[in-house]
Amino acid sequence: MQSFLDIFDIYLLEAVINGILLGGVLALLALGLNLIFGVIDVTWICYAELVMIGMYGMYYLVQVFHLPYWAAAPLVILLVALLGAALHFLVIAPLLTAPPINQLLATGGVLFILQSFATVAFGIDFRNLGIRLPVLALGEMNFSYARLLSFGAALVGMVGVYLFLTRTFTGTAIRAIAQDRQIMPLMGVDPKRIYLVTSAIGGGLAGLAACLLVLQYDVHPFVGLSFGPITFLICVLGGLGNFIGGFIAAFVFAEIISLGGLFSDLEWGYVLAFAFFIVMMFIRPAGLLARRS
Amino acid sequence: MPVRKAARWLAGLSVALAALGVAGAAHAQDKKIKIGVIFDLTGPLAGGGSELQYTGVKIMLDHYAKTGVDGYKVEAVYADAQSKPDIAINEAVRLLEQEKVDMVMGFFSSAQCVPVAARVDQMKRFMWITTCISSGVFDGKNYKYVFRPQAAGNQYGMMTTDFIAQYSMSKFGKEPKDLRVAIIHEDGAYGVDVAKGNEAGAKKAGFNVVLKEGYSATAPDLSALVTKLKRAKPDVIFHTGYNPDITLLFRQAREQGLKFGAIVGHGAGYGVYEKLKEGLGADANYLFNTDPISIWLANQNGMDAKLPPVIKMVGEAFDRLKPGVPIRSAHVGIGAANAYVFLDDVLPRAIKKYGGIDPEALRKAALDTDIPEGGTMLGYGVKFYGEGEQYAGQNARSFPVVLQYIDDKSYVVWPKSQMQRETVLPLPAGTTYSYK
Repeated sequence: MQSFLDIFDIYLLEAVINGILLGGVLALLALGLNLIFGVIDVTWICYAELVMIGMYGMYYLVQVFHLPYWAAAPLVILLVALLGAALHFLVIAPLLTAPPINQLLATGGVLFILQSFATVAFGIDFRNLGIRLPVLALGEMNFSYARLLSFGAALVGMVGVYLFLTRTFTGTAIRAIAQDRQIMPLMGVDPKRIYLVTSAIGGGLAGLAACLLVLQYDVHPFVGLSFGPITFLICVLGGLGNFIGGFIAAFVFAEIISLGGLFSDLEWGYVLAFAFFIVMMFIRPAGLLARRS
Repeated sequence: MPVRKAARWLAGLSVALAALGVAGAAHAQDKKIKIGVIFDLTGPLAGGGSELQYTGVKIMLDHYAKTGVDGYKVEAVYADAQSKPDIAINEAVRLLEQEKVDMVMGFFSSAQCVPVAARVDQMKRFMWITTCISSGVFDGKNYKYVFRPQAAGNQYGMMTTDFIAQYSMSKFGKEPKDLRVAIIHEDGAYGVDVAKGNEAGAKKAGFNVVLKEGYSATAPDLSALVTKLKRAKPDVIFHTGYNPDITLLFRQAREQGLKFGAIVGHGAGYGVYEKLKEGLGADANYLFNTDPISIWLANQNGMDAKLPPVIKMVGEAFDRLKPGVPIRSAHVGIGAANAYVFLDDVLPRAIKKYGGIDPEALRKAALDTDIPEGGTMLGYGVKFYGEGEQYAGQNARSFPVVLQYIDDKSYVVWPKSQMQRETVLPLPAGTTYSYK
């Protein structure tokens, strides 16, 4: 009994809170991907690679051009937003009526193009922003400000996207077109413009994620491999296109990884998380918050 | 008239001899050895040290491309394994079957070495491993055509536990049995093998192993591992990792307030000091790395006299390629030194003693290798375990050393025979991770 109680120590609490903070990082990543899928019905497999390009943008602006972090961040968000719009214009728009597998393969192709482009353009070295944020110490527990920032940004981003979608004309048009893409042109909504705006917002959210991730991770051409698959799984677990579902799924996934890793080997945390995903796909194939049909 | 006739004969003979000479020279120039070189030039392993190893091997092959070896031209064909074992296997087979290379050389990742060695030996082709260290490549395999002058992973693990055991009392004030140690490692063939060596060494030394755990080198989060380390309170952490995971571990350890007496790394990411410095800043000071000695740090007094000029040549070539690097990477030296052993010792013997460069001649020449300690740029000697032995193909005379980075310089601190300065142990008070 005592050995069982021993696990309820300060480190367990630290692991729970770290899980929540990791959830913030994952939720931030899932936000843009969910928006794109919810509206355009296309999955950007290359989403994490857009984040990678944004991280390189931050590195060069801060380390090479010596811009302050706060000045570089809006530029990077804008850059990745433009990239998102360009991705839609050049790759997705011509394939909008194509079978989903073609769209998936096309964005998969963009993934490899972006990785190869980064390898050629920036080299294979790991780059570090060199900014070390202070640490929040609470007794024996310590937490990273970089992660707290990501967590805050995920919350603000979530609320911001929600307000944009519900309180603005463009947002309403985005929601409307997500519900019925055939009927909306008859009501005076230009779907091409809406898709482009949505892609730019999705890209901007990838840029925001890049600004925060670059504080926690080295950037290299393959950094997307660490996040891409997990982000995709979280979106599917939450229900592709469902913001709230994605947000909750990110925290559930992160807690399983964190606590699973604490009580067993770190790798088991990931195994448990993926096993949970598979089980949920049987129980709730449309996502955590989907209603039973 | 007979004189004129004799002169004509003489002139004719001279022309014939000259023509034969030219033909002979042309024939000698036609002889060449094509060497397929495989490293990770893209993907996460490229920046983790593979590209530097490739640089070292290429410097040496470029040098021999100019001079040739005993009448043979040296031609290299390079391939990128893209940090993926399946690509490494495919590239090795492609080079051997389509590019018609005579042998393959290189290989950074142990996860690639293990399957590639099996495939190449099955094809009865010659393979010279310059870099990867997993003892699993050879353990019980009894390969005939695969050779590795490089030290093995279990030697790395044992060397560092030996080092810490030696200083347990004097530096930590604890008997080895009271010293709390943690063994953490990336969970590929490389990390697992070194960790096995750590575990065997810890058992031998009698350490109290408070945590042993593997993790994926591409894991996006190591905070749970850091929390476990905080709970386990180790005096010393033995760590084997590549590069992104090393900096992630240190960053999260700092953020979560992990404290310890020392962390001892084992090659790969720990061998790329400038990246550690860029990622960790001042916290890179006093880190340990276990690797074959840097060729630029090796004691040249006890070294074969032909080697110092070669070391100088490699250093100058490296400086031209990467100007301004504070510490010349040990990785470059390892690649260059192990390629040199083949080109300077094995290949000439295969040509002269065994009549050519076919796999059988190269194999016999490799088995004849008998270089005493001090006979390579890395300080160790070379003698391969023979057929029927547990580690057939592995160099029996290789050994790594423990290096410590102090104030942007790298020093050998173990073993005593190679020691360049007294080690700084445990981490000085006031440093980020110090538990003092």
